[in-house]
Amino acid sequence: MLKRALAIISLLLIGYWIAQGLAGVPFGQDRMLVAQYYLDHVKEQTGAVNAVTAIVVNYRGFDTLGEVTVLFIASTGVGALLWRRKKQRTAKTEGSIVLTTGTRLLVPFVMLFGAYIFIHGHLTPGGGFPGGATIATAFLLLYMAFVQYEIPHKAFEKVEGAVGVSYVLVGLIGLAIGGYFLYDWIWQDWGFGVDNIGRLLSGGFIPIIYTIIGLKVGTELSGIIDNMLKEEVSE
Amino acid sequence: MGEASKISRYLYTVIVLFLIWLAITASLDVQELGFGLLLSLIVAAFTYEIFTTNGLANLHPRRIAYMIAYIPYFLWAMIKANIDVAYRVLHPKRPIRPGIVKCRTVLSSDVGKLALANSITLTPGTITLDVDDDEYFIHWIWVPDEALVESEEEHVKASSEGITVPFEKFLKVIFG
Repeated sequence: MLKRALAIISLLLIGYWIAQGLAGVPFGQDRMLVAQYYLDHVKEQTGAVNAVTAIVVNYRGFDTLGEVTVLFIASTGVGALLWRRKKQRTAKTEGSIVLTTGTRLLVPFVMLFGAYIFIHGHLTPGGGFPGGATIATAFLLLYMAFVQYEIPHKAFEKVEGAVGVSYVLVGLIGLAIGGYFLYDWIWQDWGFGVDNIGRLLSGGFIPIIYTIIGLKVGTELSGIIDNMLKEEVSE
Repeated sequence: MGEASKISRYLYTVIVLFLIWLAITASLDVQELGFGLLLSLIVAAFTYEIFTTNGLANLHPRRIAYMIAYIPYFLWAMIKANIDVAYRVLHPKRPIRPGIVKCRTVLSSDVGKLALANSITLTPGTITLDVDDDEYFIHWIWVPDEALVESEEEHVKASSEGITVPFEKFLKVIFG
């Protein structure tokens, strides 16, 4: 009782403290310093209509590379934690015909929509991470509906590695051409898609990087699902 | 019904996915169309084996005509059933007589069974609990007198008349 009371009182104090701090922030007033620069120059500098994407992939590409690395480490960590010599799916209850048939019909649409999200990253909200998560959802559906289903591990590991390398490769080409890592050579030097802003073939290397990220996130999350759903079996 | 050839199944999946792409992009820009076709081809290559067993036979004009006719028919059944349930909820005596009944279907394809199960669940008053081969177990909000009989054959016949038969005449043609 005393513990709970103390916890509530300290939470109230912390809440009051944060509220006091936020009270000084002028909401609704124009206080954009860096952000105004992004909004003014995003189209001519990156070719993307979606300013968030341009900032995440282009202006601050290192952050995204870091996030992809974090996800990769998470996936590897789950794999390492749950590593056993022989692991299998031990689920016994097959889904009813409504569940399995519904899954069969839905999976292609979910995958197509995931691809739609990451290919339109520079035009619409979304991008590589939501698109990849959507694709992983399709595999989660298959895992949930079919007791025997397993992702094709060999292919998945190869795709995961290849797209990870190609992200760094895109950055290194930028380093060679433009002088710094993740330099957007497609837009800055080639000017590819300059008269095309707002349509699909524009945005410099953003669609390429988002395709890479989408595939990487999709395969990685599917791998995490696969690891977590399997159980150890005795020989 | 036997399985269609691989090419026919693949093409059918590509066509359906491309139509969905047209719907979600809502644009006839040549770049969108090109990428849509490309992605449909890729996604279909991975998924056509689980997506369809009939292939292009699904695009038979008779099936499409029945499918278009089924939409207003189903919506009307849904509106009627919703009003019926609203009446039962608002009525002071709340006239419900719930029970689980068994129905039998003439549909043979898995997709047809899925469509029937969903149609039954989406018309309020009935909920599909389980599907076992050609038998449906359905929770009914008002089990009529005809279904409250001792003989199982008569019970199944009466409940099928009330629940599955009205949908089946369409779904039999659409999905087989």
